[in-house]
Amino acid sequence: MNRMKNFKRRFSLSVPRTETIEESLTEFTEQYNHLNNRRNEGTAQGHLQLNHLGRGYGAEPGMLSLSQGGSPTAVHYRNNNRRRFSMEDLSKRLSLPMDIRLPQEFMQKLQMESPELPKPLSRMSRRASLSDIGFGKLETYIKLDKLGEGTYATVFKGRSKLTENLVALKEIRLEHEEGAPCTAIREVSLLKNLKHANIVTLHDIIHTERSLTLVFEYLDSDLKQYLDNCGNLMSIHNIKIFMFQLLRGLAYCHRRKILHRDLKPQNLLINENGELKLADFGLARAKSVPTKTYSNEVVTLWYRPPDVLLGSTEYSTQIDMWGVGCILYEMATGRPMFPGSTVKEELHFIFRLLGTPTEETWSGITANEEFRAYHFPQYRAQPLINHAPRLDTEGLDLLISLLLYEAKRRISAEVGLRHPYFKPLGERVYSLPDNASIFSLKEVQLQKDPGYRSSIFHHTARGKNRRQSIF
Amino acid sequence: MTCALSPGKRKRVWARSPEERPGSPCSSAHCRAQLKRSREPRYRQYSSSDSGVADLFDTPSPSSDEASPETGAGARRAKEEEQLELSIFRDYGQAWYCFQKERESRFLSSDSLAHQPQVKEESRCKLISWMIPVHRHFCLSFESLCLAVNILDRFLACTPVAADCFQLLGVTALLIACKQVEVHPPRVKQLLALCCHAFSREQLCNLECIILLKLHFNLGAPTLNFFLEHFTHLRVQHSQACDRDFTEAIDAKAMARGVAELSLADYAFNTYPPSLLGICCLGLADRMLGHQKRMDMRVSGYSDSVIEDCMLKLQLLVSLNGTSLPRLLPLELSKKHVKTES
Repeated sequence: MNRMKNFKRRFSLSVPRTETIEESLTEFTEQYNHLNNRRNEGTAQGHLQLNHLGRGYGAEPGMLSLSQGGSPTAVHYRNNNRRRFSMEDLSKRLSLPMDIRLPQEFMQKLQMESPELPKPLSRMSRRASLSDIGFGKLETYIKLDKLGEGTYATVFKGRSKLTENLVALKEIRLEHEEGAPCTAIREVSLLKNLKHANIVTLHDIIHTERSLTLVFEYLDSDLKQYLDNCGNLMSIHNIKIFMFQLLRGLAYCHRRKILHRDLKPQNLLINENGELKLADFGLARAKSVPTKTYSNEVVTLWYRPPDVLLGSTEYSTQIDMWGVGCILYEMATGRPMFPGSTVKEELHFIFRLLGTPTEETWSGITANEEFRAYHFPQYRAQPLINHAPRLDTEGLDLLISLLLYEAKRRISAEVGLRHPYFKPLGERVYSLPDNASIFSLKEVQLQKDPGYRSSIFHHTARGKNRRQSIF
Repeated sequence: MTCALSPGKRKRVWARSPEERPGSPCSSAHCRAQLKRSREPRYRQYSSSDSGVADLFDTPSPSSDEASPETGAGARRAKEEEQLELSIFRDYGQAWYCFQKERESRFLSSDSLAHQPQVKEESRCKLISWMIPVHRHFCLSFESLCLAVNILDRFLACTPVAADCFQLLGVTALLIACKQVEVHPPRVKQLLALCCHAFSREQLCNLECIILLKLHFNLGAPTLNFFLEHFTHLRVQHSQACDRDFTEAIDAKAMARGVAELSLADYAFNTYPPSLLGICCLGLADRMLGHQKRMDMRVSGYSDSVIEDCMLKLQLLVSLNGTSLPRLLPLELSKKHVKTES
């Protein structure tokens, strides 16, 4: 803090407003040298002035530090700097016309070709240089219905003119107080690296003056809707196939140290073939999940692990596994497992079913102050078979290993894939290439869901209930 | 205008970084509140007295009372957290390593300053030397700092930057890095204030867009931080039974992080892949701390000669920065460092 003070004092008080780092840093160096000239006061080095190898390499170590003071290089540097910029020049550069999205001065500086002779760029060459960067064009896509809207983004259904395929267009506004939204930066940078049959594909990124449009493959349903459409009565066999796909996509993410952190049925998109894909990576990699989005929508607590509910900010892949357990239960029973609306209620639901944690089930829990402050009654764990009778022994065993209180004991996606519960799917599911769908194996086929309604009804329901999540 | 602050006090401040005390209540709300509190009296102080010595009495001593109990709890928590990470590491450690190792060359920008008409090695060194305390000031993770430097270098490699917006580039790179990994990235306003309002919000947002586009949103570089963590996990996994080995591993990581920060600021290390720097920083840290059981350097897959070359340079860098390094280390470790040095 003290060091910062020095920095801040220099930057904010001793330095005239128009000066830039170059100059203020030169001043630093000067003062620093000056200081050291007056005899090495040892402790007087207020700045983190790191010496670098380029200069000292090959010489006696310790001899060529900047604390030599008034070293010729430092002086030279200062002179050099002075020559390059007059103050007048600087203030001119800094008072840029703000109405232009990319100020011309900026663009000049960005031109690699002619650093010596910067010419003002015409609008056309500016636009050309943007498309040279390789970004797609908005004209390629036709916007159809709006699917949803939030503070940061609007999602449209669209069609690509090139491929005639349906796409989901996620339009993200970039002009905000804090610049580009975190969710957009995370989602794009992460999804660009994820190519997997069970993760939604990012086809294209289109950048316009004020917004960023992400072009995703379009899937017409999600797990929540799927459950609605089959009257919350899924075939036991289909549950297995969905679970396997979910774990497969998740294991792929976790192998790349990417967490989803917001798993819920609405974020698991499903197409007409029954392929399940993870979507909505906006929260991924954030260290904690907020209870409200930026647009003040309440984020659902239903799939959140108790350690996170009790304030843990640990960054681990096991966070996602709790949600997988809740989703397995929801598919098997047709109802959400812990539908709490506040943190306290959520924890209460969890403890009432799985038992209030003790040192045996969760070591260190009795020392957790948040937990103690809630004063939960001592519930005993109930047998899960009474609540999810449609699951077989293996299914229940998997469910229990997913819903362990202690994060480190929870089964991982990788190990989960090898659980005996999936044995009926055969061995070949383990040798599929990343981009191959599980349905490319002929032995894996969906069955008719017992609660499935007539197809006419199904279609209208689709259009009505479609809720494309935004964040 | 001197800035005679006791180094002991400074070190303690550094020891409050969130990395050394994982899970410490260093929430950014807390940090922001802290910033606000300290800003007001400092101005007053400055106008009344010009001698930096007064600074000593300016803010209430931040840590001398709380230091000892907190470090004990911190160490225990560090161990618990390490264990959670280890259990996940068993499942995924190797996969993470392969994935990052395979990608690291794509994110390396060796001659990033080769085509820069104005920005030189010295300015890069100064900028990053400034970004290091800035990232600590906001209690940001080391991961953020590494990512920011990577974004900075890769942008410099493809775009000439005028010297007068170089600082803006630094804070913007930091902002982009934070937006990826931090829960609460610093506010634009705070960053602009750190540049003494030399730049406007619009300039920063424009530059942010330009960087994102120029780098095609490829922002998730494998970092030095990742490799430090990875090699430390490997080491802890092999020596879990022994308490001393565990402490040594944790100490070496903290020391290596200090060395790693020095290397980030130095352009000469720009050509080294982070995995090589990571293993060498750990190796050097072991040597500096005189550890009995040292890191097995072979786990990195680099040949002895390559490692030796990089370690020699790091050693030289450390000896050139003998006074700066302790300030980058947590308190207990810098004491230890001084002991082994003497």
